[in-house]
Amino acid sequence: MATTTPKKNRARTATGTAKAPRTPPQATVHLNRPTEEREENPLRAGLLLEKVPDPCSIVVFGATGDLTSRKILPAIYNLRRAGLLPAETTVVGFSRRQLSDADFRKLTRESLDQHSRVKPEEGLWHDFAEGIFYEPGQFSERSAYRDLAERLEQIDAARGTRGNRLFYLATPPSAYEEIVENLGQVGLNKQGEREGWARIVVEKPFGHDLESAVKLNDALVRVFDESQIYRIDHYLGKETVRNLMVFRFGNGIFEPLWNRRYVDHIQITVAEDVGVEGRGAFYEEAGAARDILQNHLLQLLTLVAMEPPIAFEADALRDEKGRVLRAIDPNWTEARVRASVVRGQYTAGWVGDKHVPGYRDEEEVAPDSKVDTFVALKLEVQNWRWADVPFYLRTGKRLARRATEIAIQFKLPPLMLFGGTSTPPEPNLLALRIQPDEGIMLRFAAKVPELGLDVRSVNMDFTYGLSFTRDAPEAYETLLLDAMLGDASLFTRADEVEAAWAIVTPMIQQWQAWDRSGSPDSDICTYEAGSWGPEAADQLIEHDGRRWRRL
Amino acid sequence: MAGAGEGSSVTTESARPAEAPIETDSTRWHVRARTIGECVEQLGQVWTTAAEQAVRTELSDEGKSSALGDPRLAGHLDSRRSVRVRMRTSVLTLVVIAPRPETAERAAAAVNALHQRHPSRAIVVSPTDFDGPSTMDAHIYAECTPSRRSDAEMCTEQILVKTGGELSQHLSRVVTPLLIHDLPVVLWWPDDPPFGSRQFTEVVGISDRLLVDSGSFHEDSGARLAGLATVVSDGVSVSDIGWLRLTLWRELLAGLFDHPLLTRELDHIRHVRIDISRPTSTLRISKAAFYCGWLASRLGWEVKQPLTRRNDDDEMLTGSFRSGRREIKVELRPVRATLDGSHRAAGSLVRVDVEAERPRSVMRARITRQADHLLATADWNGAQVTRRAGQLEPFDETPFIAEALERPGMDKIFEAALIRAVRFASG
Repeated sequence: MATTTPKKNRARTATGTAKAPRTPPQATVHLNRPTEEREENPLRAGLLLEKVPDPCSIVVFGATGDLTSRKILPAIYNLRRAGLLPAETTVVGFSRRQLSDADFRKLTRESLDQHSRVKPEEGLWHDFAEGIFYEPGQFSERSAYRDLAERLEQIDAARGTRGNRLFYLATPPSAYEEIVENLGQVGLNKQGEREGWARIVVEKPFGHDLESAVKLNDALVRVFDESQIYRIDHYLGKETVRNLMVFRFGNGIFEPLWNRRYVDHIQITVAEDVGVEGRGAFYEEAGAARDILQNHLLQLLTLVAMEPPIAFEADALRDEKGRVLRAIDPNWTEARVRASVVRGQYTAGWVGDKHVPGYRDEEEVAPDSKVDTFVALKLEVQNWRWADVPFYLRTGKRLARRATEIAIQFKLPPLMLFGGTSTPPEPNLLALRIQPDEGIMLRFAAKVPELGLDVRSVNMDFTYGLSFTRDAPEAYETLLLDAMLGDASLFTRADEVEAAWAIVTPMIQQWQAWDRSGSPDSDICTYEAGSWGPEAADQLIEHDGRRWRRL
Repeated sequence: MAGAGEGSSVTTESARPAEAPIETDSTRWHVRARTIGECVEQLGQVWTTAAEQAVRTELSDEGKSSALGDPRLAGHLDSRRSVRVRMRTSVLTLVVIAPRPETAERAAAAVNALHQRHPSRAIVVSPTDFDGPSTMDAHIYAECTPSRRSDAEMCTEQILVKTGGELSQHLSRVVTPLLIHDLPVVLWWPDDPPFGSRQFTEVVGISDRLLVDSGSFHEDSGARLAGLATVVSDGVSVSDIGWLRLTLWRELLAGLFDHPLLTRELDHIRHVRIDISRPTSTLRISKAAFYCGWLASRLGWEVKQPLTRRNDDDEMLTGSFRSGRREIKVELRPVRATLDGSHRAAGSLVRVDVEAERPRSVMRARITRQADHLLATADWNGAQVTRRAGQLEPFDETPFIAEALERPGMDKIFEAALIRAVRFASG
């Protein structure tokens, strides 16, 4: 599988540590997408999936880790089960632990039994297990990669994977750079002329601030071309998020309303009811702003706010998303952080029917930790479409319930003709529920059926589970399949990642400065576990005469 | 739903009590859950099962044979054929906090009776055993009934949750994960809501509307009504069954004064006498106080003398209003016997007398409770001028709940009446 893309295609700014996001790569370089070069198989027309990925070896780094067993292996199995992967598809685990192929097959089986949405069937499992291999090695050890390369060549010959490789980095981020460098050193980054592609999937977190993200991007593009890199944000693989684009650009009636003339404001919420779940050490280094805001929340924002792309094609989409991020002011003065950002940390409380400890009492968390488990903020997308329309974003752990939602609140009609009714008028609202109860709700006013004239808000509701009885695929299934097909639409590009960090980093730095100076009035707010966040977050939005939606 | 209350172990569909109207082709599910997480999961599963069953029934034999083996294909088929899919038709989430088991049963029965007119997810929470270990036990009932109006099936759910121990003090946390997105939340707190308590404030905080029955408030009506008034002034929309029960009494009195000869007498009212029922020793004056508060707020009377007991051995309560220089005396008389026997609750109005006096005229208006209706008459200088009657509804609270659910706005008349009633009752 060849690519016509020149090796170093990323336009770079002159300075090494760019403070501003970089300009994106030219969209034109990808117009000849690799998969389009293959002659289409005419027999495929009309079948469930019009394209089936080439046979390939999926090399999972961190093969014995949690992510691999919970998400990646079940996703591969379910894709295979659904007939979306060719039978040659092979999984190669790579990790430090000394295991045999048989050991890893056993681990895989356990992971499927535990985490797969469909339990493995014996016949298929047997077939699937034959394509599972394991290669032990230290991430830093060059010779292990040589062994890996050799093993992959053998597999190509034995199983017919045609030199196609998908490298999946499911390790802690600290190992990314050495893995990538070593892959380059042994030539596993190279792609063949017509066949034998090499792609690399990078898990989040992608850096922990702008500088580290730039550094990681640099390390990646030293070895791989941007077109080979797939930065995963599993939110983008969720069915409802993918539907967002269909909803906006596949319907004629919403897009005309999708601007500052009709929209009053937009709220995006990613609420979790879980705490740090034994990952205290990780979370101490991350916090909600890095863990959710920089990626999931800002990605959702870009999808809501972006202009229609010229084509439903990876770089056209990502160009538009990147433009949204660049329209958000990355200059955070102290006053701006104070006025439009609230960070919070949960204290002990009741979530559902359980009493849970406060963040500072979690394992591996410092007793005086200032890490944010909640962020609420107000952003503005400064372009012609959205000027003066506030975007309120919030995310937190240990909130009252698990709920992810985008809500577009429209302006009230210019003149209320029905002022005398007993209910105060409610503005129209469009809510896109991402989880749970995936669906879309439109709220509008209706006359109450009676002799008088009373107006009440009613909901028109579309719920995925009730309109389509088939299960939506897991996000990881969608994304893995796309990566194997060479479709990068749902993956984030280097310039997007850096632009997002450019927005979030100065804000976090301001918090750190406050924490160092120890001034009490800029201390982190607290909120009781099981509530909807600190009071200051309510004040943030109520100050503008608006309210958070009750989810 | 009565059997789902205290002590019964309902584990199968058939064990669901037969109080609900049984339609032959309605379908029911019953599951049990021990945690909130399990509850949410079970609810999801119930609806998946419901949807799948519906698709299966609607598919042709050919469709079945080709689709049933493969769930992916079944999903495809419903995009090409019109398949009747079951809809969860809730229009609101009704949350009932019922600490006493008998209240919980009553609430569940009312909810059941309402489900055709107001399909909802009803969550009946019974907090018990405040001292024991934290426990939770939930029964989930779901039901799909063919709609009378359309081809669709209407599906509703009831969740009966019993909590124990410290969890009973955190009911808002139990309820929140069970609410349906974007539907209004109506909180019904029967009996005597603990106004001002943290528990109460938290649960009201997640609700759009509070439904109470001021008629069932206990003896210190003044303080209770004051608590209710505070909730109203905090901006919570309140529906009060006690107030709604006064509607006919208001309607009839207003009707008497529609007469052109009598309208002008409204500015000369000097006496109001109200008999309230007191079948047992319990004295509940909130309805009467509300009625006086309503008159006062509509006619611009200010409280002069709040209701007080005249002397220790007399049961009568007296008070007065003022309008300019005119004084309006109010007498409240508890009576043991009612015309229609004993099924009226304590505090119900039995008779209302309103008297207006001018130098050359006396006007008397009265409303009396008869067996199944109210009779209102008015005479002017001894001659009857107008007479009307109003049919009394059975005492059942369900129609009032239904009415409260249909009127989601703030009721300005109610609020104004409440403010005067509080001043008048809390002497």
